[in-house]
Amino acid sequence: MPPLRRRRTRSSAPGSVIENQRRKFLVPFVGPAFLFYTLLFVLPAIGAVWVSLHKWAGSGPMEFVGLRNYERVINDSQFQAAFVNTLLLLFVAGTAIFVLAFALTMVLRTMWGRSAVRSIIFFPHLINALVFGVLAGFLFNPTGLVNTALGWFGVDNPPLWLAKENIFPLIMATVIFTTTGYYTTIIMAGVDRIPPYLYEDCALAGATPFQRLWHVVIPLTWDVFGTCAILWTLSSIKIFEIIWVFGGSSGAGIPPVESWTSAVYTYVTAFSGQSTPAFGAATASAVISLLLVSVLVVFLRRVFRREAIEF
Amino acid sequence: MSTVARKLAPTLMVAALVALSACGGDTGNATDPGGQGGDSAKPESISYWSHWKEGENQQKVLAEAIAAWEEETGITVEAQWQGRTITQKLTPALNTNNVPDLVDSSFARLAPVLAETGQYASMQPAFEKTLEDDTSVADLIPKKYIEGSGLQIDGEPWMLPYTISSEAIWFNGAQHPELKESPPKTWDEFTALLDDLKAAGEVPLALDGDIGGYNAMWFVSGYVREHGPGSFAELVADESGESWKSDEVRAMAERVEALVQQDVFIDGYNASKFPAQQQEWATNKAALLLNGSWIPTETGTYAAEGFEFASFPMPTEQQDKVYTRTDFIGFAIPSKSDAVDWAADLAAFTLQKEYQEKFASEAKVLPVRDDIEVSPELAGVMSEIEKADAVYQQNDAVSHPGYIEKVFWPIHNELVLGNIGADEFINRMAEAQAQYWQDQS
Repeated sequence: MPPLRRRRTRSSAPGSVIENQRRKFLVPFVGPAFLFYTLLFVLPAIGAVWVSLHKWAGSGPMEFVGLRNYERVINDSQFQAAFVNTLLLLFVAGTAIFVLAFALTMVLRTMWGRSAVRSIIFFPHLINALVFGVLAGFLFNPTGLVNTALGWFGVDNPPLWLAKENIFPLIMATVIFTTTGYYTTIIMAGVDRIPPYLYEDCALAGATPFQRLWHVVIPLTWDVFGTCAILWTLSSIKIFEIIWVFGGSSGAGIPPVESWTSAVYTYVTAFSGQSTPAFGAATASAVISLLLVSVLVVFLRRVFRREAIEF
Repeated sequence: MSTVARKLAPTLMVAALVALSACGGDTGNATDPGGQGGDSAKPESISYWSHWKEGENQQKVLAEAIAAWEEETGITVEAQWQGRTITQKLTPALNTNNVPDLVDSSFARLAPVLAETGQYASMQPAFEKTLEDDTSVADLIPKKYIEGSGLQIDGEPWMLPYTISSEAIWFNGAQHPELKESPPKTWDEFTALLDDLKAAGEVPLALDGDIGGYNAMWFVSGYVREHGPGSFAELVADESGESWKSDEVRAMAERVEALVQQDVFIDGYNASKFPAQQQEWATNKAALLLNGSWIPTETGTYAAEGFEFASFPMPTEQQDKVYTRTDFIGFAIPSKSDAVDWAADLAAFTLQKEYQEKFASEAKVLPVRDDIEVSPELAGVMSEIEKADAVYQQNDAVSHPGYIEKVFWPIHNELVLGNIGADEFINRMAEAQAQYWQDQS
């Protein structure tokens, strides 16, 4: 067995030929992307920060209020609850997704017909979240499919599935269901890269499945995990449409406050359609929540920063 | 990644994250409310953004009117059938030069975006147009719609309604002919009826409890029908929140609490997804439904065979005066329009008898003119509007930023869904409202 070599993740030493070549291509390659990025993302983002310092209905006069919107939003118990929901999605649903994805990867690794199974578990990710929102009523209404099925087993008092306090746990379960397959596919690709002889070495050395997992599989897929964690963080904070359609908003209302995330809070503040838009408060909530999440991303990057193992 | 790119990465990442959900915007324009946005020189075309989507019955009637107007004036109407999200598209558009000349939507949606931001042009030219028989538009619209309803600002109308909607307690007239003859008029008669229905083995009331606006009808309409248009808005405007502790509010909150305690709402109304419960009602699994005048068209496709839509107004102890919810759907002209007069002309054109009759007979909605015969399903609702001494809007036209959806609905939902009683409702409303106004100051 060839020894595992560790390589530096940082680029080669300054002044090397490769580094010089890279520098030469920096402007032509990065320049156009940077320009578009600045125009389409950075400038609107700065505009959003500017709007957040005003009281503004989206059109008409703007009144400068300084950091008042930030103060209001931070002290608003509904924003706090919405942000907690965002964190629940990020950490609780995220942990469940990764534990399940990893477990599925382990089960599927040696399973017959695994590529077919991989396609099947990936499938829910391809379906628009709106479909699950619509299905929620079909499944969980008092006279829906789930209660009808429970009735066959003699359950006369089924839980109030769609009570407003139960909607968010249901949304989390749906997110876990739809997302696990996606990360399973990525992690499986990472695990598939591990050369089979390492497993043979483990077998010869008498390693237990746990030891194999701990000493071979996890270290060799750590960088894949790191990437997946960042991907999940970025996508989890944007979860919006499934919450919007899951409860109360099939064209006639807005979801119950109990299921709002910070993205929904932002949207309702700006676009509820029921009252004068408050763009200043909406952008303030977007800026606050995204700054906090940015801190989390930096933290996660540090947690997952390890020297990649080359094999 | 090179050193430079690596150094840039965190900055870009943060910026991208912010941009992902934050909205950029222009500073907008402070305009003269009611100012005339353009001249009357005949344009080649005018643009119109609609509340309706292609294929909806109202859209078909409007499209027909537009085609006739195009032929008459020789001006092309560039119509965009935007649907219900029109105001969300209109708000950012108002900061650009690409502003439609004419828009239509409900009063509740247009007022926050156009009226309260002063981004409208006066609709007076439309009210001054004369239609058939040389009658002016202003004379065709009942005065009580215009007076005190929020349609006018500083004496000038900013919106021209072409249809109206209302609410009522709906029932199947084929199953309950007795309610057509003698509907309950007072609250006591109503609760007695609910008891009778229960005793007869029927579920008295259906309610999609996940829709805050439907739940709110019980309190808001109950309150305004007792105390008159503007009374709920006045309650909301109290910055101390103490008005919520008044006897009038307590009586109304206790009325709603008593309904919940009477156990008259359909099972699972607190844990279902719209439109599950109105479907149950339309298939005769509940006797009554408090909802809008859109119910016959909305539930018509799945209603039980032989279902006869009939309604009676929400009972009230107020027997001297009649106050009826009358929501407007109508046109408004953004102040940046450069064809104000022509846009007003098109708006007025839809009030001709021909199109108003089509709104009534084909779209099965209530036309704004009161000289049009409405569909039999809506006759009861129309009669209550005709009887009204004064009319009020949805939520009594309250549109303070975030108040309805963040303060009133969440707490009121708890009351209707049976999670809190009248006392806690009152205390929480008083406290939340005081906090709301403190935050707004």
